[in-house]
Amino acid sequence: MIKRKGIVATLVIVSALGSGAVFAEEVEKIIEARQSFMQLYSFNLGLVGEMAKGKTEYDADIAANAAQNLLALAKMNTSPMWPQGSSKADAGLEEVTSALPEIWTTYPKVSEKHNDLTAALETFATVAGKDLASLRGGMKAVGDGCKGCHQDFRAKKEDK
Amino acid sequence: MKLCLKVATLVATGIAAGLWLLSAPEPAISAKALAMATGSDTQAGDTGPGDAERGASVFHIGGCASCHMPPDYEQPDTDSIPPLSGGMRFSTDFGTFVAPNITPDKATGIGSWSDADFATALLKGVSPQGQHYYPAFPYSSYARMSLQDVADLKAFIDTQVAVNRPNESHQLDFPFSVRRALGLWKQLYLRPGPVIDLDTEDPELLRGQYLVEGPGHCGECHSPRNILGGTDYSQWLGGAANPDGEGSIPDISPGAGDFGDWDKADIAEYLSSGFTPDYDVVGGSMAEVVENTSKLAASDRHAIAAYLKAIPTVIAKEDD
Repeated sequence: MIKRKGIVATLVIVSALGSGAVFAEEVEKIIEARQSFMQLYSFNLGLVGEMAKGKTEYDADIAANAAQNLLALAKMNTSPMWPQGSSKADAGLEEVTSALPEIWTTYPKVSEKHNDLTAALETFATVAGKDLASLRGGMKAVGDGCKGCHQDFRAKKEDK
Repeated sequence: MKLCLKVATLVATGIAAGLWLLSAPEPAISAKALAMATGSDTQAGDTGPGDAERGASVFHIGGCASCHMPPDYEQPDTDSIPPLSGGMRFSTDFGTFVAPNITPDKATGIGSWSDADFATALLKGVSPQGQHYYPAFPYSSYARMSLQDVADLKAFIDTQVAVNRPNESHQLDFPFSVRRALGLWKQLYLRPGPVIDLDTEDPELLRGQYLVEGPGHCGECHSPRNILGGTDYSQWLGGAANPDGEGSIPDISPGAGDFGDWDKADIAEYLSSGFTPDYDVVGGSMAEVVENTSKLAASDRHAIAAYLKAIPTVIAKEDD
């Protein structure tokens, strides 16, 4: 009798651990996806940003396309990339993600901030292809849009 | 034995008197000196020697709003100037400082100050009542400002909304609560001259030096301090502990860590839009600084970048 109880308990624990492990792996994949998504922002920002700095020559087509890409990214529905339990505070994820639990606990604040980014990128898409001065003038608002979420919902980077 | 005691008493009294004299606040900047420096000596116009429009840019590089705006203030848009009514608290190793009201309110702000009072506060760290200010107010850097910039800044602040909000006292532990002792601190650590000897005539570099070492007060956070809060000029802009407690403020001297790889254009862009060279975005307390630097003339951001690339690299101490 005692032995049987023990087996049942062991089975329960093992299956719980098992599903936990699978879940953690899935979450890590999702986190990887959303980090790749951020890389797409960064890549396209780089195209316009290097022109703003004068490191690459201004090219209206490249600038306009990059700005369109940024806007398209902002308009994508990425909610499946942000499941509950995928914050830095969740077990085992501290080193994997910088996403703060406030994304979920203060929802829909993050979504409102994201709307601000989309609005900034709407404007940017109309000016980036005009000329270099317009592109330069538009960068700050885009930076503010990014900052909107990163300031409140991403853990500060530890300085080494 | 008695003689010994007498001598000791005499010596102690002498030291005390010497310290008392040494700790006296420096004389105020006179209206005359200010008028001469700003070229308004001959005109006693009621608008004063300052230019509010130019003062706006001094206000932004000085970052005045970052400390003097109300706690938890949410800006409706990035172009609006917050009320400068103070109240933000800064907890430090010496106690808690509370930012004062610097709106033009006559009763509780600085509305009754003359331009000379204002210049004395910024450049000498001395109040209109002749008392030392604590260096949480970064006059150690502002001491390097030109009188013209100070006058312009006053003219700009005079155009801001007046708020009636009485100042709160700082909550400091003894012996830091003894204001007079700050005179000694100033003797030791107040260094109004240039920090770095650039040995250059390049106007861009000199402009950058002025902005960084003076009104921009970058060294207040980016340079380490000793146990008494004096800046360690031998490690200028070499990074420091975060005064807010968490982590550290990065080394921004050339050749340091990630920042060493940033070139002038990278730095200027960062101070303008907040984007890092890998197109991440500025964070933490630097975000507010970039909010301010984004409002400067592009030439000023380039000047800052040029200066940061011209100063000596700091080699961090091993045992930090």
